[in-house]
Amino acid sequence: MAYVAARGGEEAIQNSEGLYRILNGDLTRQNIRAIERHMPYLVDRVMGEGSLYAPELAALALAQTGGDLYEAVLLLRAYRSTQPRLFYALPISSETTMVVRRISAAFKDIPGGQILGPTLDYSHRVLRLEALETDSIQAPKLETKNAAPSSYPKLTDWQREVGLLAGELEPAVQTSREVAALPDITREPPIYPAPRAQRLQALARADTGGILTLGYSNMRGYGGIHPTVNEVRLAYAEVQLEHPITGAVFSAGRVRVSSAEVVTPFSSGKTPPELSLGFAACLGWNETKLIAAAMLDVAMSLQDPHPAHQEEFVLSHTEPVEASGFCIHYKLPHYVTFSSDLDRVRKAQAGGSLELELEAVGV
Amino acid sequence: MKLSELAFERQDYAYAFLDEFAKRELRRKILKAIAIPGYQVPYASREVPMARGWGTGGLQVSLALVGVNDTVKVIDQGDDDSVNAANLRRFIARMTGVKTTTDTLAASLIQSRHRIPEELLNERQVLVLQVPMPEILSSIEPSYARAREMHSDGDYALLWLGLYEDLVKYREVSYGADYPVLVNGRYVMAPSPIPRFDTPKLHQAAHLTLLSAGREKRLYAVPPYTDVYPLEFEDVPFQIEDQRGWRDASTGAAGKFMSEIPQDGGGSSYQLSDTGLKQKLERQMAGEEIEIGATYFDDDTNFYITGFLKGAS
Repeated sequence: MAYVAARGGEEAIQNSEGLYRILNGDLTRQNIRAIERHMPYLVDRVMGEGSLYAPELAALALAQTGGDLYEAVLLLRAYRSTQPRLFYALPISSETTMVVRRISAAFKDIPGGQILGPTLDYSHRVLRLEALETDSIQAPKLETKNAAPSSYPKLTDWQREVGLLAGELEPAVQTSREVAALPDITREPPIYPAPRAQRLQALARADTGGILTLGYSNMRGYGGIHPTVNEVRLAYAEVQLEHPITGAVFSAGRVRVSSAEVVTPFSSGKTPPELSLGFAACLGWNETKLIAAAMLDVAMSLQDPHPAHQEEFVLSHTEPVEASGFCIHYKLPHYVTFSSDLDRVRKAQAGGSLELELEAVGV
Repeated sequence: MKLSELAFERQDYAYAFLDEFAKRELRRKILKAIAIPGYQVPYASREVPMARGWGTGGLQVSLALVGVNDTVKVIDQGDDDSVNAANLRRFIARMTGVKTTTDTLAASLIQSRHRIPEELLNERQVLVLQVPMPEILSSIEPSYARAREMHSDGDYALLWLGLYEDLVKYREVSYGADYPVLVNGRYVMAPSPIPRFDTPKLHQAAHLTLLSAGREKRLYAVPPYTDVYPLEFEDVPFQIEDQRGWRDASTGAAGKFMSEIPQDGGGSSYQLSDTGLKQKLERQMAGEEIEIGATYFDDDTNFYITGFLKGAS
């Protein structure tokens, strides 16, 4: 009696999606282009959390979901699942990226210099209401003066040299084969305590808001550490691949990447004390998330009962797709489980109050 | 001969959506889960085009198993027509072209959220249960890392203590659905939030049950003919939901799990939660010749394995 099941539920789904599309207007190539071109930070965030560097697809995801961030991230992640992994790129290092912004709060000046780069940090946060009255406000034209250096030294190199920084430097991953051997949370689920590569990968994909919340709780003093921002970097990196036959290295494209490092005194547990380093990096430019994430990286390595110091707590609760998905799953019908709960409540109610009974017999 | 004649027709997505590496991993983990009944096997858990918590774990297992000759049934709260069940069924059918059904007897692969069908499943059927929280210990030990250690030690003392505390406080065990069960004498397992009414159906079942939590990245199994006992004290037996006197409003069926529908002006009416069965009963009443399978519970709520349920409901 096998017959194709198609009943009211499926029609309801199609109509509700139709209503949503009507409310949000047509999906046009022009809109998608506009999002990609004019909302780079939003696109970066979706790509970073979506774990797929594809500005055009991220803009499409945003357009298609009316700007619902969690939905857009899910679209990218689900698309990513369908793509086979053909190659591993060579690792990028901060020495070889093209840095456009690089600041340190630790020293007034640092080797290589402070490079303010593109930022709204020191802008006045006033709405530019005149933009509503004119067709456009042109971006200013700036003269180029000095050519920027092709790379900047790392502040941690200097700190290590002078004996301030704790911990031995692990040997750098160099070949694509070594990259392929790194633990990867999309291939093996994290079992806590997780390898550091998985921790940094989870932070890179983590929900910006969630990381900020937990990082901020840490900054405000819940299990407080006293971090100083060692370096924040915004950069472009070449995605370099080795040709599978000739072995020649070629660039497959350029991606925006950012990273943050914080250092904390007296966290290493060593006497005499040394500085401890926290690090986070992600695809796209997302300074707020990375500063909080780098602080959580230090916090998670310390023995402290506060949740923001527990790796399992931080990483499992800042997974944007899992957290948002589970939250909205409560909209699904639960009448079977609820009726099972009600059965227990009714039964216990019928038994009467144990406390009153105990009171009556003077217990 | 042209190359295009030899090649398959171009498709935007692979058969059953997941790439072959993902399917291979899932199948290996499923085999491991079958080999260690009740043990939670971690797996990578790919993102699929549904939100996490909406059956992505069950869906991945279904996609890894579904073959071209399968007939698929998907239910949510017992209902084939529930919007999310309809959505999952539509997706599986779209990505594979397999037949779908609402008839439990006709299905070879059943994906379900929170119910086990009323008609007895057989050895050729696989039941995939969607799992929100795979860790039965999470209510007493929120850290999965620590809970894993407790499972390896077989340390379930806190679960028993919780049952005891309930009895002291309420004179009743407070677990509604998702009642903890001991599988094959070794692992205590979350049977997914099926009502207690469905819990005994797992014991010595002819079919294979696979349970999968996509968000938590754990899958586990109850192989055919495996012992599954709800945790119960010798003097306080496990009880299923008390639905005595509840009858399906349209068919008059009884002894099956019912949905309670509050009525205007007080009181409730009842509907069979298993809508596939309800539909068949209705068609039978209309004079159609319909095969209705044997059920786990008879009309007086007697379980088919005599003596397994010691407590009255």
